[in-house]
Amino acid sequence: MKRTRKILAILASIAFVLALAGPILAAQLKSPDDVKTALRLLVQVSNDFKRQITNKNFARVPHEYMEYTEAADALRTAIKNEPADFKNRVETRLKAAVAAYQKISDMSSSATDPDKLMAEHAKAVTAMNAVFDLFPADFRPDPNLPPPGRGRGGQKSQ
Amino acid sequence: MYRTDARSRNFSVLGRAPLSRRRLLVGSLALPLTLLGCSRRRSSGQQGVDLFIESDGDFLAFRPDELTCRTGALVHLTFHHAGKFLSARHNWVLVYPDQMEAVDKDAEKTEGVISTDDPRVLAVVPMCDKGETMMTEFIAPATADYPFFCSTPGHAVDMNGILHVTE
Repeated sequence: MKRTRKILAILASIAFVLALAGPILAAQLKSPDDVKTALRLLVQVSNDFKRQITNKNFARVPHEYMEYTEAADALRTAIKNEPADFKNRVETRLKAAVAAYQKISDMSSSATDPDKLMAEHAKAVTAMNAVFDLFPADFRPDPNLPPPGRGRGGQKSQ
Repeated sequence: MYRTDARSRNFSVLGRAPLSRRRLLVGSLALPLTLLGCSRRRSSGQQGVDLFIESDGDFLAFRPDELTCRTGALVHLTFHHAGKFLSARHNWVLVYPDQMEAVDKDAEKTEGVISTDDPRVLAVVPMCDKGETMMTEFIAPATADYPFFCSTPGHAVDMNGILHVTE
């Protein structure tokens, strides 16, 4: 009994150390600025998807998908010098995210109901957040932050 | 009559006779002085201003997002698309106050292309692909704050700024 507890304690310690080590390893990224830029671009394009759907500008959605694949490529380039294991984990989740946004694009060609597309968009955002989870918290862009521009009507956002 | 004589004399001198030192000196000073005179005359009547603006890399923002010039100035504005990754196109459109939203809404129907005949529009830099630079010229309007934006559909809400026209 005592021995089992000891083993469990050791296993818990190892798990704790590994959980801490993940973000620390990620914090030592070779090109942190490029990674931050690529992650911000993914969020920017995702928000553009949302905007085009809300405005019922469905014809623009495939163009947004193209830009999403370009942002994904920017992330691949930004992590090209990272360890293979990390790159593989990012690639798996990134592919899933790109596929989720492609589904929105495919649906947009015959879409008339923005609510259906918005429901798919919510799923795609979840897939994108799974990519972000692989990076340190301070690298993850906040999709709820106001845009960097001045906003509609010339009011500068804070 | 005198002018005709003089012109013909000059032609004769330039065409046939060798140039004297004095004439060479006067001639060599004449061109730069004439150009200087021309430029002075232009700047006293109309001040020229060079403005530069670019996209914030691939992000939907202008850098800087505020510009300033004097009313009546001849503005040479250069816009650079500083993006590297995304194929999104950007431009620069200057409109009268409170017209940005309406012009942007109309531009959705034309893939962002703005007509230069639009009375709400003061100046337009054509659509640029990443890495491209384009220029436009316009006379700065009356003193006020004028909005500018990118007319690619969906961009204006983030990608906009203000041109301050001062006295």
